[in-house]
Amino acid sequence: MKNKFRNITLQTKLILSFIATTIIIIVVNLFMYQSINLLVNRLDAIYLSNVRLNELEIALGDVQNSMTDYLNTKSSDAMEQYYRSEQDYSELIGALNQDITGNRLQMMQRSIRNMSENYLEVTNQTVEAKRGRNIDKYKTRYEKATELYNYIGTYIYSLNNEQFKDNSSSYKNLSLSLHYLEYVSAFILIGVAICNIALITLLTKSITNPLRILARAADQVAGGNLDTELVEVQSMDEVGIVSSAFNKMLVNIREYIERIKESMEKEREMKERELMMETHLKDAQLKYLQAQINPHFLFNTLNAGAQLAMMESADRTYEYVQNVAQFFRYNVRKNNESVSLRDEIELVDNYIYILNVRFSGEIHFEKKIDESLTSIQVPSMLLQPIVENSVNYGIRNIDWQGLIQLSVYRQDDMVCISIRDNGVGITGEKIDKILHNAIRTSDVGTDSNGVGLDNVIRRLKLFFGNDDVFDIISEGENKGTEVLICLPYDEERYDDV
Amino acid sequence: MQRHSSQKKNTEESGKQIRGKNKIAFVSIGIILVMIIITTGSLLFFKTQLMHTAQKEISQAKRNYDNYYVMINSDNNSSFWQSVFQGATEQAEATNTYVEVLGENLSVDYSEAEQMEIAIESKVDGIIVEANESLQMRKLIDEAVTAGIPVVTALGDNTSSTRQSYVGISSYNLGREYGKQVNSIADSIYGAQEQTDNMMTNINPLQVLVLINANAEDSSQNIVFSGIQEAVENQSDYSGKINLEAKAINTEGAFAAEESIRNIFMTEEQPPDIIICLNELNTTCVYQAVVDYNQVGQINIIGYYNSETILKAIDRSVIYSTISVDTKQMGAYCVDALNEYGESGYVSEYYAVDTTLINGDNVRNYLGGDADEE
Repeated sequence: MKNKFRNITLQTKLILSFIATTIIIIVVNLFMYQSINLLVNRLDAIYLSNVRLNELEIALGDVQNSMTDYLNTKSSDAMEQYYRSEQDYSELIGALNQDITGNRLQMMQRSIRNMSENYLEVTNQTVEAKRGRNIDKYKTRYEKATELYNYIGTYIYSLNNEQFKDNSSSYKNLSLSLHYLEYVSAFILIGVAICNIALITLLTKSITNPLRILARAADQVAGGNLDTELVEVQSMDEVGIVSSAFNKMLVNIREYIERIKESMEKEREMKERELMMETHLKDAQLKYLQAQINPHFLFNTLNAGAQLAMMESADRTYEYVQNVAQFFRYNVRKNNESVSLRDEIELVDNYIYILNVRFSGEIHFEKKIDESLTSIQVPSMLLQPIVENSVNYGIRNIDWQGLIQLSVYRQDDMVCISIRDNGVGITGEKIDKILHNAIRTSDVGTDSNGVGLDNVIRRLKLFFGNDDVFDIISEGENKGTEVLICLPYDEERYDDV
Repeated sequence: MQRHSSQKKNTEESGKQIRGKNKIAFVSIGIILVMIIITTGSLLFFKTQLMHTAQKEISQAKRNYDNYYVMINSDNNSSFWQSVFQGATEQAEATNTYVEVLGENLSVDYSEAEQMEIAIESKVDGIIVEANESLQMRKLIDEAVTAGIPVVTALGDNTSSTRQSYVGISSYNLGREYGKQVNSIADSIYGAQEQTDNMMTNINPLQVLVLINANAEDSSQNIVFSGIQEAVENQSDYSGKINLEAKAINTEGAFAAEESIRNIFMTEEQPPDIIICLNELNTTCVYQAVVDYNQVGQINIIGYYNSETILKAIDRSVIYSTISVDTKQMGAYCVDALNEYGESGYVSEYYAVDTTLINGDNVRNYLGGDADEE
């Protein structure tokens, strides 16, 4: 029963309440009308009895007059008239009371009826005697009839009076009843109206309350608070359905957000792993190289070469071999750790020297170093690959004098390391590709020490946890390229060394 | 854990909501009940109000009776006949019969003869009539009996008619009772005089006036008169000293009796010492006249019937004594006679009604009794 009520739709609820209240009012009104009808009918009945008596009196007069007329004239018209009125009158008296009751008015009716029956008998006899020319008989009969006529007349008149007296008191009662009816109906209508208003207020409240709660919850969700409480469903009407749909939606949104969070986490982890894999691969490559060349043997060999050169007073050879030895030692020793900027610059010096020997001093290298900043810690193998890049792609195939400038300076809170060449330059497109990691290590030629630019960029990012550390600037074709590394100037890191 | 607690909270809240929902349902049902109570209550109230007024009208016409008797008498307003009618009604109710005084509701005052005719024409089941010995009355009674309507005469009889029964007082006994009263008055007067004066021959004879209805051609008054005569002659020590005289009182026409009685006091040189009245009206008239003409103590009244006025007069010693008729018994006997005739076709010719003497000694009982009845 309760569940059934809960499942009723709003429309049905409204219609039901409306119908119920309307029916009650209609029933009350019908009853009022019926009561009024009853009273009016009784009022009618009161006067109807008097009206009937008057009719009776008239009919009686007709009988007497037509009989007298016939006795006077003996005309067939009068005869016809007599029979007609006699018929009418006997019909009328047939309606009168015949029983012996305790009511004196009804007893008077009975007397009138009985006397009238006798009267009609006598009048018939009179008319018969007249037709039979029995003069004596019709005269005495006529007298008798007249006597009876007078008695009946008196009875009717008296009964009329008595009835009127009775009716007056009945009328008083009835009009009193009508007054009562007025009060009662007014009372009922007012009472029912008040109750109806209360009922409708209650029902509409029960309909709009869940809506209001739902609206509040929706407002909170719209404001971004997904953790708002679920709207509880009171009934399975339209509002109930909307409420439960809203709840489902809320739950689904929460779940969805949770899932997105999870998948993002996964993606991040995968990226990290990819990077790790690459480093591990590099590691493996290095270890492979290391395994192939016994570094001590290499260094000792190079050192022996250097000593030999010195003994032969070939100073330039000595210096060259010395530089090569230093370059490789650095490579072997510090491939994977953080080092001071100073060491890195030294390595670049070594590298340039070796290249200049290789390429007969084609490369001009200029340094503008703020020495106070060189103790900053940076990832190892940072500058050399950049310089190598500049040499290989920037100034290798140019017609003019190649120049590479390395400058370290301070800008605001940043330590800036700039490697600028005057080579072929680089297109913005390619810069984007490089910066966004689109060029893989494999694309780079084998003519390198194996550490690519992308590796440098990635390690920088990892090291400083910041994307904006590395930038490549080129003003266009044949206008050179500048690689700019801006490191945060960290007092502590600076002091460490 | 947090989720669990929030769920719990949810169920708690929904519980609260369901309770709220129940409350709404209960209040709605309550309101509907109030509406129904208001409506039905008011309508019931109105119905009972209506019924109450309707009941009054219906109750009168509810009962159906087996027989319908009418009562015809010379004076509807006298307490004598009203009492007779009351007795008849009580008896009739017990036997499921309806009795009515004829002509009560009519706008015309009909004579007894006319009333008889109306009763015959109305085909009543029985007639109780205060008859007289007139020829007209005899004819009417015979006519009724021929028409199959039994007739019982009450108080006054028409012996020559074919009436079924007579309910009344034995006139001879009544006369003797009056005679006794006359004797006792004579005893008290002459007894007192004897002691002071032995010369009885000097004393004036006692004048006794018997008021007789002049228009009644009826022998019962004569019988009463002869009863008085006999009692006075045979039983009194002073019979020679009592002068009995009958006075006819004209009752034809309205107020005639009262005028005739006044005439007695105005014209007679020597007012009578004792006046004997044979009906209630005369008794009351004589009593009033005696008071008016300042004859209290001079004239002894021997009355008839025990109306309130007469009893009070006895209490004040204006009326010496009165003969009371058991009127209720008379009414009851009339109805009994008619019923018996209706049932068996036979009925006793004569029903004697009890009479009682009321004088100064026992009047208190009747005054009290009357008061009780009212």
